[in-house]
Amino acid sequence: MNITINKTTKTYNRVSDIIDSLTINPNPEAVAVLEEIGTNSSIDEVREMTARALVKRNEPASLSVVITQRGKGINDMSTVVAMSTINCLLSLEDKEEAMKVLENTISGEGIEEDVRENARSVKALMALS
Amino acid sequence: MSTIERVSQWSHRIFNTTANEQNVRRSSNPFAQSNFQKNILMEDVFESSDKKHVSFTGGITQGTKRIYSTFVGSINDFGKKFYDGIESIKEFGLRMKDGIVGMWNKAVELGNTELHPIEGLKNGYSAIKNVLATDMGKLFNTREKEVARLAKLDPQSEVKPMLSDAVKALEEEITMAA
Repeated sequence: MNITINKTTKTYNRVSDIIDSLTINPNPEAVAVLEEIGTNSSIDEVREMTARALVKRNEPASLSVVITQRGKGINDMSTVVAMSTINCLLSLEDKEEAMKVLENTISGEGIEEDVRENARSVKALMALS
Repeated sequence: MSTIERVSQWSHRIFNTTANEQNVRRSSNPFAQSNFQKNILMEDVFESSDKKHVSFTGGITQGTKRIYSTFVGSINDFGKKFYDGIESIKEFGLRMKDGIVGMWNKAVELGNTELHPIEGLKNGYSAIKNVLATDMGKLFNTREKEVARLAKLDPQSEVKPMLSDAVKALEEEITMAA
């Protein structure tokens, strides 16, 4: 069932504020919180916001969550979430860390083929952008 | 009609011209037949009103022409109202400008009274300059302040429960809406 979320409610704004604060929080533990609660949420919008926050942090640990983990970030079942994450990756000013994580995912062992395939496609896109 | 009656009518028309002229003038006056009020009439007023259904090459009757004239008159009237509106906006702008200039002078005066004249003037000037240089959006943006406040908290012990509760509340909200 496709439910449209009201993005003007107080609760939605609260979630958005907390996720935004974790984007700029210097503590590395912020990544774990985003991964544990944000990426596992049943709401597409929350997963989308979380994935974008993890990309914006631009750290190996946060990028690894959205690139290497199955069902999260670029590998999310929701096309909107996956495309939004890819778009955020493409708009990064410094793509060095993201490229490293993508290469590690492509050449890494024990990683599912579809995850590697997604990483390969995004790497090609990033090389072109 | 008898001959005597006809002669009587002719004599009346020949010898009493004033009455006849008044009658003709009244009937040819388009303002007497239509209530145009303040509107401008564009049609030829010298045309006889007896020919009420004269067709032109374009098929426009005299009556239609009169309606168009009324419409054009109303457009002219609208233009005046629009111009008046712009004039009132201009006046409002001038009042605002006067108000800002007055506020500036007041601020400088306050600065002068509190401290040494030159020092006070400098203070007043710099205070106003600082206010004007500040991004007004940031002054009223409480959201940015809230995000900055939350960013200083400990992620695991403080932010995690908050995020968990907020996401649960959002999920409930969506369930209720569905």
